[in-house]
Amino acid sequence: MEQLPLPTSLAEVETLIRALYQPNPPETISKIQEVLHRLQRSPEGWQLAQSLITHREDNIRFYAALTLIIKLNRDSADLSEDDAKRLLESIIGWVIQSLSDGAGHFVTKKLCSALVTYFMHFSHLWPACVRHFIYCLDLGRGASVESLDDALQTDLLVGKLDRQKLRAAIWFATSFVEEVGKTDMTAPKFIQVHGRLVKNGPDVVCLLARGFSPPPDNPGLKIQGEALACFQRASPNPELVAPLRHLVGPAINCFADADLFQATAELFSDVLANYSAFFTDEHYDALASLFESPWAAEHYQRLLHGNHQEDGISFGLLLLAYGDAKVQDLMRSTDSRSQRFLESLSGLLAADGYLVGEDTIFVPALEFWSTFVETMIDTTYSDEDAAQAWKPYADQHLKAVVMNCWRKIQWPPAEVFAEWDSTERVAFGDARKDVSDMLESVFTLEGFSLVSFFTGLFLQGLAARSWPELEASAFCLSALSDCISDDARYDAELSKVFASPFFDLLGQAHGPIPLRLRQTGLGLIERYCEYFERNAQYLPNALNLLFGALGDSVLGGPSARSISTLCSSCRSILTGEAGAFIRHYQTIRSSQVLESLAEERIVLSISSIIQAIKDEEQRLHTFEELYSFLKKDFELAVQLKANPNLLNLRHPDFLRGLDPPNPQAIPPPDDIALQVALRSMRCLASMAKGMQDVKEHPIDLEGDAQTQQANSRLAALQENIMRVLVEVQGVFSTSGEVVEIICNIFRAGFSETEPGPFVFPPDAVTNYFVQQRFETPRIGTLLSTACSFIGSLYRGPKAFVPAQLARLVPWVISILQALPEPEADTEITLNGISFVDKVMVKSPEVLFHPHHASLLEFFFLFSLKVLEGKEPLPKGAAAEFWANFLSLKPPPVPSASTDPAAPAALQQTLAAATAHLGPLLARSLVRNLAGGAARSELDRLCEPLKRLVTTQVDAQRWLQAALMDDAVVGGAAGAAGADGGGGGGGDDGRVRVGVEERAAFLRRVIA
Amino acid sequence: MSLCQNRLQEERKQWRKDHPFGFYARPQKNAQGVLDLKIWECGIPGKEKTIWEGGLFKLIVTFPDEYPTKPPKCKFVPPLFHPNVYPSGTVCLSILNEEEAWKPAITIKQILLGVQDLLNDPNPESPAQAEAYNMYKRDRAQYERRIKQIVRENAAP
Repeated sequence: MEQLPLPTSLAEVETLIRALYQPNPPETISKIQEVLHRLQRSPEGWQLAQSLITHREDNIRFYAALTLIIKLNRDSADLSEDDAKRLLESIIGWVIQSLSDGAGHFVTKKLCSALVTYFMHFSHLWPACVRHFIYCLDLGRGASVESLDDALQTDLLVGKLDRQKLRAAIWFATSFVEEVGKTDMTAPKFIQVHGRLVKNGPDVVCLLARGFSPPPDNPGLKIQGEALACFQRASPNPELVAPLRHLVGPAINCFADADLFQATAELFSDVLANYSAFFTDEHYDALASLFESPWAAEHYQRLLHGNHQEDGISFGLLLLAYGDAKVQDLMRSTDSRSQRFLESLSGLLAADGYLVGEDTIFVPALEFWSTFVETMIDTTYSDEDAAQAWKPYADQHLKAVVMNCWRKIQWPPAEVFAEWDSTERVAFGDARKDVSDMLESVFTLEGFSLVSFFTGLFLQGLAARSWPELEASAFCLSALSDCISDDARYDAELSKVFASPFFDLLGQAHGPIPLRLRQTGLGLIERYCEYFERNAQYLPNALNLLFGALGDSVLGGPSARSISTLCSSCRSILTGEAGAFIRHYQTIRSSQVLESLAEERIVLSISSIIQAIKDEEQRLHTFEELYSFLKKDFELAVQLKANPNLLNLRHPDFLRGLDPPNPQAIPPPDDIALQVALRSMRCLASMAKGMQDVKEHPIDLEGDAQTQQANSRLAALQENIMRVLVEVQGVFSTSGEVVEIICNIFRAGFSETEPGPFVFPPDAVTNYFVQQRFETPRIGTLLSTACSFIGSLYRGPKAFVPAQLARLVPWVISILQALPEPEADTEITLNGISFVDKVMVKSPEVLFHPHHASLLEFFFLFSLKVLEGKEPLPKGAAAEFWANFLSLKPPPVPSASTDPAAPAALQQTLAAATAHLGPLLARSLVRNLAGGAARSELDRLCEPLKRLVTTQVDAQRWLQAALMDDAVVGGAAGAAGADGGGGGGGDDGRVRVGVEERAAFLRRVIA
Repeated sequence: MSLCQNRLQEERKQWRKDHPFGFYARPQKNAQGVLDLKIWECGIPGKEKTIWEGGLFKLIVTFPDEYPTKPPKCKFVPPLFHPNVYPSGTVCLSILNEEEAWKPAITIKQILLGVQDLLNDPNPESPAQAEAYNMYKRDRAQYERRIKQIVRENAAP
């Protein structure tokens, strides 16, 4: 930005200041600001301020006062003590002048701020600042601080001030307590400042006392409001509490003045909420009496029936702040005054108007009652022995609270809701959530009676066909779903709701039930899924309702979710319905395209029912029925990919390939084919998830491979699924998503212990893996899936394992070999190392088989490179691998299937490998410790180092050789610079570490 | 009451008074239905105008006894596909690390907003899971498709 030149005359400065306060383009304003700032910061700044401070224009005077503040903050250290004393007298003089020559209030206030800034820097020169300022005001000029010794007592001085001067004194005091209060009283720089604040406390109180009962002159000039504001700013200062308490009485009196009501209510609410210990019992008593006065009754009525936007809710907030401060006492009270007060607080939940746009007191009132309920819960559970005479009283209040909340959360008529803006709508929803949270807490105290209260309201609402009331009751019952136990008493109560004609009405496509109530009603079914497990007679009806809503644009998604929750947890009751649900699914599919996620959930639901079918033949038959839909989709996708002319967007089968469902332009047939395939793949993954068993079965770890022979129908099915997976992947060979979904399908089977369509024979899975190449998309994810696969192998019969591993190890290492460099793909490197690590720990005899010698040689060097690399995740895996390698012990007893000579041979191999690799590992570790590793990586790198030292007799020699090699230690360029950690490296990471330091390091490591 | 409990009470109060749009945060209840202030269930919405918009992700925040001297642990349930989320679901973020940027003055609101920021602004310097980190670095288009799918599966109600 181009700078303006510094002004050369006062007149120019004035012009600039005027321009600053006039409407101007932002860039002009910033240019002016910049030049004026330069001027303010220059040595001429003091003079500038002095010259302009008595100017006839307020804006210019204001700017001069601002300049004074800036100079005081920047350059006060340059002032001699005498200069500083003179400056104080001048500023006070300017304040007094501003009062007499009719300057704007903002000018006088800014000058008072300048005085406070002065105090912050020179409090030692002006310790009794309040009293001195009052003294000068009375004198009518800035006097020396020393002359204060002869002055009258402060109360007498204050008594002599007229209203105008009194107000200026209060302005100063307000800024004084506020600014000093902002500083850290424990910081050495401010300890003295705070000490002086305390000394000024009595003078401030003296001043404010006069402010609350000002002199009779100039009655139009209200001082009390200023006194209240000063009180409020002063109250957070713990040092001022004692003196300020004397002013509570006069402050309470200000409530009566309509003009002061707002400020007074704010003051009291603030102090009650934040410093409730400020008030003494007498003060609380005085406030409680006030709340019982006719004056309070009038305010309360206005709050309940008036307009919150126009009149505000200060009175309500004051009541709530009082309630909050005294919540313990109020809760335990049985006296009539407290009961009346609590009644008025529950009444705040029943003000006129809708939440939250019209009724703004509900949410704060609810917050109070939530606190009240939690206080009750804490007390109920902590002092069980106490008589708790107060409990019935408190319960009575809770009843009113619950009833009022139930009324308040009812939806307005649609036309009213339509007029609300988005913030009001969201706030309404949030308030309902708050109510539902509070109800859960209330349940802890009231239990069954709360449930029966809402079922009663539900049935009443249904009988009267009052939809909003019915909706609110269903909503409140939903809120309690997590609290209700499987006690028969609760089930009986809930059956009143679930057996009611409401659900018949809900099922009618064009019935009387409005959308919101349908939503809440369907939601109620989902929330009470455990109830349906126990009361299966209501389940089919509930599910039919949900299936009926699937096609609805608003209700479809939530319904699909409810269906999957219900079907999953009630699967064994629903096995007889599987066929019917498949037909439901078929009907919907043939008429419309469901949202993809909704469809996946339906398929998941049906699969989880199929999983529970006991008879194997029937289970497989039903599975095939559902699977056949997906198989057709796969065929369609493959055909369309081969022959784009097949595309027919009038047919729902093709429309399934549009994602989003209504695109602006029709995508090419290839894309549609891929989407059809992906959608069905995701459904197939949902089937795999649904078919997972929810029960635990014993596993036979010693069983042999033969016992797991599946029946031929299952084997054929598995083969078919596997063929489809391979075909789809082959046709859409560039799609990473396809691979990802295949991995998910595999994983779903890995965790199973019983045979099933997705629990593929290990050979089939291995066959699949070893066909994948480095070029396959998401090959890293496939490697991670292979890690899960071997994990699952170890959970099953052991006999399977070695043969699979012997085929997988070369495959995994071949993928690593294809990497252009070890860090080219972190996912491949990490999972490749983890795979080999897992095999090594569990089956070292397989990994170290002579067949693998050359592969292993590559792998060891590869993992050392990774250990020295910069990628944290593979590096961590490599560190773990080496730590495990060094702890390897060959299996003590040869298992039946292996060669009896194997342990000895393995021992030999390991010893040879360690002798060869030990020095290399030592070099890698030292290179890391000498600055190659980031600080956060050191913990993991210490593991292999520890093992090296504790397991290898040659460790010291290896480490010494590495440490003394400048190519290892001196040359460690600081990768550690990344997070500032690591030792050894200088700016360029090449600062030499002395031989003695290296030797000392080695001694510490070996010790 | 312990410093930890006191502070959490206050955090709860402040959260109820004022919390950012679309978030939720509430202490869990124990077996008797009494609130356990040391375990909070929270919801982080995806930020507007990002690929995360429309999603709502469940986060369990666990406070240690030494809170606020020590930071809470944040864990996505179920674990989230994101470069800075460990396979266990634990979030890796400097303000949640005692040895990095944690300060006792950091509020729950700031933590949750910090985690929300992290969603669309991952830190490739501290990867916590290979899958998301690798895809984020190597194939941004596929990463974004994947996030959109995750958002669909975790749509805000």
